[in-house]
Amino acid sequence: MSLLEVRNLHAGVQGNAILEGINLRVEKGEIHAIMGPNGSGKSTLAGVLAGREAYVVTEGEVLYQGKDLLGLAPEERAREGIFLAFQYPVEIPGVTNMYFLKAALNAIRKHRSMEELDAMEFLSLVKEKMKVIDFDQSLLNRPVNEGFSGGEKKRNEIFQMAVLDPTLAILDETDSGLDIDALRIVAEGVNKLRSPENAVVVVTHYQRLLNYIVPDFVHVLIDGRIVKSGGKELALVLEEKGYDWIRGESGAVTADAQEAGSK
Amino acid sequence: MQNWYPGDKEGKGGIFNFVTKRGKCAGRNSRISWTQVETGSAITWKYPSVLLIGDNSVGEFYSVAVTNNRQQADTGTKMVHIGANTKSTIVSKGISAGHGQNSYRGLVDVKRNAVNARNFSQCDSLLLGDRCGAHTFPYIEVKNTTSRVEHEASTSKIGEDQIFYCKQRGLSTEDAVNMIVNGFCKEVFRELPMEFAVEAQKLLGVSLEGSVG
Repeated sequence: MSLLEVRNLHAGVQGNAILEGINLRVEKGEIHAIMGPNGSGKSTLAGVLAGREAYVVTEGEVLYQGKDLLGLAPEERAREGIFLAFQYPVEIPGVTNMYFLKAALNAIRKHRSMEELDAMEFLSLVKEKMKVIDFDQSLLNRPVNEGFSGGEKKRNEIFQMAVLDPTLAILDETDSGLDIDALRIVAEGVNKLRSPENAVVVVTHYQRLLNYIVPDFVHVLIDGRIVKSGGKELALVLEEKGYDWIRGESGAVTADAQEAGSK
Repeated sequence: MQNWYPGDKEGKGGIFNFVTKRGKCAGRNSRISWTQVETGSAITWKYPSVLLIGDNSVGEFYSVAVTNNRQQADTGTKMVHIGANTKSTIVSKGISAGHGQNSYRGLVDVKRNAVNARNFSQCDSLLLGDRCGAHTFPYIEVKNTTSRVEHEASTSKIGEDQIFYCKQRGLSTEDAVNMIVNGFCKEVFRELPMEFAVEAQKLLGVSLEGSVG
């Protein structure tokens, strides 16, 4: 049983089709990169997996740990271990990062019939996780993402990921807006959190992030379809030749890729 | 804290609550602080006020008002600056849900002899859904040239994005709304004694139950 299996997924927003038959299989312990030009449907895919209500699935299915994912509410997906690192993390004025995370973690623990952590236990967990991502303590007591720089917001996403310990993490353009140092710190954090028990799907526009988070598989998403899949070297070829190179190739490649993508 | 019967979903049978509260800062360096949490009544009119007569006296007004269903709240304060160096602070948070209407109505009245008077007002409104309303009527009258009066106002709608973000972290819609609303009210709640603040948070949760999603 795969951790995640996407079969012939079609989805769109307000009647506009965006995803037109995605096939993808992710096993535990793997890192998958989804690359593609702007508007190819990368963020839509991330949004559909996380349960963003604006997207409507018109065809296909998604199995997560063998169970139907699309029937679950977003919070149920989160409690089952799916984590989305947002491209644009949202600000919640007046709610401290600490308070927010503790509520989130305890909601997840409750769902799994685990005992909720009290303030002291939570604090020691947080201290341990802060080291993973080199996270500044002062950000803990500030309102969620409010007044954070772009880099701090993205780092906060990875910090939340460290605390919530997801089984499937989806990073939606986590590299956008990051300078090279912040990029490295974020990527190192992701690498430290990697284990045989979890998997990461990295959605990105540029190859740059993949220098630091080395994927096992690279999928190229164009016009709502995965048109090519390969190993990490595919990202390098793309960097060199650009997306037009794939667009220029014949339809036969598309069929191959569909097959590879569904493997 | 007031939580009178608001009536049924249509507001029928609800209490009309008209309240008069005034305070007088008569002596030098005196201080009066009003902190209110309004959740009940079909209609509320309430303007706790302070007469700042003594020099250097301080008046404060911190308010959270919640309206849901057909409730209407028209609330605010009057700060009358009479003495020199008098100061006032107004922080008003209005939350509207359902068909609820919330108005801030306040007067900052700086008299001629109130030299160097100082006022800061902040009125924030939060809307849940698309059928509610928020209104702000700040009256400011200043009769000298040495005073400083500031007014800030904001209106925001509780965002789908905010709720989705919370849900993606495992929180239910209800918990997400509670958290966002309580965060919005934080500047007022921290003026309350701890026991009250906890009660106020719970009361807010009950008042807004089922208002989103």
